[in-house]
Amino acid sequence: MTTRNIIEVSNLTKTYQTRSGGELKAVNNVSLEVQKGEFLTVLGPSGSGKTTLLNMIGGLDKPTGGKIVLDGLELSKLNDGELVKVRREKVGFVFQAFNLIPTFSALENVEAALAPTGIPKSEQVERSVALLEMVRLKERVNHLPAELSAGEQQRVAVARAFANKPKVLLLDEPTGNLDTRTGKEILRLCHGASREQGVTVVAVTHAAYVGGFTDRLLYMVDGQVFSDIPKSELEG
Amino acid sequence: MISFSYALKEIRRRKYRTAVNIAGFVIAVSTLITLVTAARGWETCTSVPLNSIGTDIIFIYTAPVAPVSNGCYIANHLFAFPFNQTLLNDLADVPDVEYAVPILMHRLRAMVFTGIDPTQTETNAVLPSDVIEGRYLTADDGYVALVDKEYAELNNLTLGSTVTYCGNFVVVGIVDVGATNIVKSHIYANLPVVQESLPEKPVGLVNIALIRTSSPSKVEQTAAEIEERWPDASTLTGADLAETAVGVIQIGEETAWNISIALTVIAIVFVVKSQLGNVSERTREIGILKAIGWSNRNVVNQIVTESMIQGIIGGLLGCILGYIFASYVLSTIGGEVGGALNLVSIDPILIAAGFVIAVAGAVAAGLFSSFRAARLVPVEAIRTT
Repeated sequence: MTTRNIIEVSNLTKTYQTRSGGELKAVNNVSLEVQKGEFLTVLGPSGSGKTTLLNMIGGLDKPTGGKIVLDGLELSKLNDGELVKVRREKVGFVFQAFNLIPTFSALENVEAALAPTGIPKSEQVERSVALLEMVRLKERVNHLPAELSAGEQQRVAVARAFANKPKVLLLDEPTGNLDTRTGKEILRLCHGASREQGVTVVAVTHAAYVGGFTDRLLYMVDGQVFSDIPKSELEG
Repeated sequence: MISFSYALKEIRRRKYRTAVNIAGFVIAVSTLITLVTAARGWETCTSVPLNSIGTDIIFIYTAPVAPVSNGCYIANHLFAFPFNQTLLNDLADVPDVEYAVPILMHRLRAMVFTGIDPTQTETNAVLPSDVIEGRYLTADDGYVALVDKEYAELNNLTLGSTVTYCGNFVVVGIVDVGATNIVKSHIYANLPVVQESLPEKPVGLVNIALIRTSSPSKVEQTAAEIEERWPDASTLTGADLAETAVGVIQIGEETAWNISIALTVIAIVFVVKSQLGNVSERTREIGILKAIGWSNRNVVNQIVTESMIQGIIGGLLGCILGYIFASYVLSTIGGEVGGALNLVSIDPILIAAGFVIAVAGAVAAGLFSSFRAARLVPVEAIRTT
């Protein structure tokens, strides 16, 4: 792995057993490299393996074959406890369905990501407030998710994803439940924060306007990389 | 400490489930405190009358065995017929009998006059420890007596006063034998002096033997052996007294603990089932927390904290309710020997034990259900709707 790559995926495969006893290859022999600070967008039709790839890169799911190296750690060799540490310290997730805890306020949802780190409570609060300020929700810190709009909920999720100063931000259809204006705002937020903090972004999305933010487009079909288009070609 | 505030929020969110869980612990703890206190009260109630005079078995005759002349009659309100004092030697020969102590109780109208052997200082109708003023009797004493505190107060008797009962006796001691003493009398004197002073002159006769056995576990067996050897005689033991006691609950302490532990186990199983349902409902949330970096231990802590809070609330309410119930039950136990209940109070250690059991049970229930939560695979849990 070169020092510039933060993610290296080699011959990655994820196979599911179907109920009929057959096999379904959600990800089929995928290899790719992502450089530090890069904004990679993964496109593709439903069932093409985008989310499965993202989950494996983030240590949420384990591959059936192949290798993933994230910030120098080979994930397939890590046990569950070590994967928890990877998710806690190196990765930030933003999901399509926001995935906020409904009984927590915006502030507590962000704090939830810091709670297991052992950071003093006062620092947790301070950092969470700063992150909510970053996503322009300073006035809504004590609101429950149900009291926030969809865009605001996703902004809380973005703040939470940045809570532990991740090296990689994984966005799984972050604009899927948002209108175009709000979706753009979320992508702009993620793009700006990642640029500012040097965070690598891998985004799975259908949003056409993602082209305005991304450095590179990866198109997946049937679990395989169909095309890999760098920013230079995108601009062209 | 987000797990604590999270736990409180979850508890508030799931009010019905929380209420049911807490109710389980309340029932278990209050039952424990009530039943064990009732058992202790009941056992004390039935054992104090004998224990206070240091005996295990009271021996009496239920049929005449010696001639009694007119005038004063040898009896008391509980026991009647006199027997030869030499019988005590035969009683001492019965297996597991350590010794037998003679008593001669005599009743004249409302007064009871009792002859004792003052050399018996561990088992007797009145013991040296009962003396609150003056001194105890000695074997050399003649016409001197111990008088009961209440009787002395009623008759203005003090040390040196003279009390008359088939003779004049100088008061050398005031005694307080307590209301539960089953052979409580007004006046106590040396046995030979009593035998000589009574008009019937029952020299060599007594009407009660207080028997001490080698072990509490031998009492019933020894009593049965005695009744077999002396068919006209009757024995009275703690178990016999227990049958005469009345109250809301008549139960042994061991049984009380067993019932309470069974109830606690049921409560724990109930809470486990409820918490499993809770985990099931929160599968997605737990998946989210694991996705953002919560370890299995964090998840376990979370579920256990929630369960523990319910245990603390249930334990506290159970202690309060148990105290109220136990106080009520204690007030109902007693019957014929009920005075003993003044000696029983609700044990603070029992209340503390009830609380600890509730919290420990809650933690156990939380741990059990949290293992399922910890096993959830985050990516699958998040997909749950």
